[in-house]
Amino acid sequence: MASSTTTVSRPAPFRGIGRSLLLTLPMALWSLLIFAPTFRTPEHDHQISSLLVITFMTTLFFLMMRTGKTYRWRRIFFVAVGFLFPVGFISSLIALRGSMSIPIERMVTGDTPFCYMVFPMLIVPAALTRTLIFPGSILPTESNPHSIAAMIALWLGMTLVLGKAWCGYACFFGGIEEGFSSIAKRPRIRRIDPRFRLVPWAILLFVVLLSAALFEPVYCSWLCPFKAVTEFPSVHSIESAIQTAIFIMLFAGLVVLLPLLSKKRTQCAFFCPFGAFQSIFNKIHLFTIRFDREKCVDCSLCQSVCPMMAISPESVREGKTLLNCMKCGACVDSCRKGAAVWHLKGTKVGLHPERARLFFLYGAWAMATMFGGYILANAIDMTLHFLPFHF
Amino acid sequence: MSAIHFIPIPAFASIGEALLLGLTTGPVCLASCGPAVVPWMLAQPSSVRSQSKQLLLFLVARLAGYLLFATGVWVLGTTMMRAFAAHTWTMGAIQVFLAASLLVFAAGWPRLRRHEKQNAELVHIGKPIRQKRSGALTLGFLTGINFCPPFLVASVRGAQLLTLPATLIFFLSFFAGTAVWFTPYFFLGLVRRTQTCVLVARITAVLLACWYGISGISILIARLIHG
Repeated sequence: MASSTTTVSRPAPFRGIGRSLLLTLPMALWSLLIFAPTFRTPEHDHQISSLLVITFMTTLFFLMMRTGKTYRWRRIFFVAVGFLFPVGFISSLIALRGSMSIPIERMVTGDTPFCYMVFPMLIVPAALTRTLIFPGSILPTESNPHSIAAMIALWLGMTLVLGKAWCGYACFFGGIEEGFSSIAKRPRIRRIDPRFRLVPWAILLFVVLLSAALFEPVYCSWLCPFKAVTEFPSVHSIESAIQTAIFIMLFAGLVVLLPLLSKKRTQCAFFCPFGAFQSIFNKIHLFTIRFDREKCVDCSLCQSVCPMMAISPESVREGKTLLNCMKCGACVDSCRKGAAVWHLKGTKVGLHPERARLFFLYGAWAMATMFGGYILANAIDMTLHFLPFHF
Repeated sequence: MSAIHFIPIPAFASIGEALLLGLTTGPVCLASCGPAVVPWMLAQPSSVRSQSKQLLLFLVARLAGYLLFATGVWVLGTTMMRAFAAHTWTMGAIQVFLAASLLVFAAGWPRLRRHEKQNAELVHIGKPIRQKRSGALTLGFLTGINFCPPFLVASVRGAQLLTLPATLIFFLSFFAGTAVWFTPYFFLGLVRRTQTCVLVARITAVLLACWYGISGISILIARLIHG
């Protein structure tokens, strides 16, 4: 009797193993298809890294199907991508040019790898003067495979499928913050003024206007916290020293310290202009999270677990999330009453929410495997290269 | 002064040249003035009519800045362009003034502080600011005398003209050419002014004011240090 009272009862699995495996099968095939070319190369390191990524991604998807939970398993993938991206990227930079810093002459020759953060700043100067205000190359070159055209095509395809979910399934920068925000058990900073949610929009307007006026991507030159873990202009003057100091301070404050203290993705929620830009696509995206008002008891749990502060009391009353919802699934997973549900636009709220989740996850996970999976494979590959022995 | 070559240009030719110069470089003017115009206009109540009035006032003040500069150019000739020391001082000072104006007019700084004293609920700052002619006029004038690249090109050409009326007409034509490109700003009046929109515009104005303020002060400090 005593033993039965001390036993912790586990929640019953959401689906049976057979059914979960069946639902995972398409994702497993997709992963194989994505990484198939690496098995044709003689490099064993490539094959091992691809095999590891296929197993990792398929296992996580299986667990999503089996448990019915999204956030927890997505987070494992997302944090792994966030922390492994700098490993692969920095190693390839060092292999290519021997340093993380980019010399001014390489910028002049258009050898700067293109980053999607620049998109919003490119639009106005390109439309008005047909000028690309980024020192990169339009088409891939031997010294710079991350070209503007390739990145735009990739971003466009992924945005059509993911919308704002880009920030939760594709953005490797966000993974670093999510990692730090997951460390503490309880937040030290509990009360955050909801108006901080508007700051990314103001920063977006600020960088768009100023970049058009000055003909330089202001965010990349002065404000990007992730320059601290990717690449930055070589320090050759007081100005470049100040720029580097700003990058490091922003990274330490917004990506490490504040997520640790608040358990929120502070850089994404209160600073990132690209996140604000991506929110616009939530308007046209097919999938969303809705609240069933008949089941909701206004416990505010969804608001406290949301890493983006994308739920407000008003929005819950209206039965929906705010525009900056990245569809991570934290609110759905935590809702004890089953009031927060996945929703396909145009259908009745609460009608087949699991079907909506499944359709969304197929698209999102396929993109995550393609983009994040490549990042993971690259990082594992680089790590294997540094091992004293080779396969 | 002896090295300066005054090129006699027929009046019609100079008008045509200035107009074309304005029309071709207009997109750059549009982008250069964006940081001053957009947050200011978005922080105003929405109505195409009132916004158009504000934009026209802005353009009139900008024209006044152009004509003042044209007079300076005519008086000093190309030495004005060469006197880079004075140029740097002016650049720094203009940017500091622009920063202050953005804070005062677009962010409604004094009004904001009054609100803070009266009511802790800062949500009130989301209300649009009542239109102020002085805002449009000050921002227009400051952007008018700011040295954007097309303006410098026009200045060099304008300095080569022989008479003051010719220089003024040259700048007037140049202004007319660039002003055409400001048409898209009229559509800002169509944007619905929710509390969110106004608040975002004001935060942007504060950020831009910080940028121009820091930039202007660094220019002035650099000028002080390097002489």
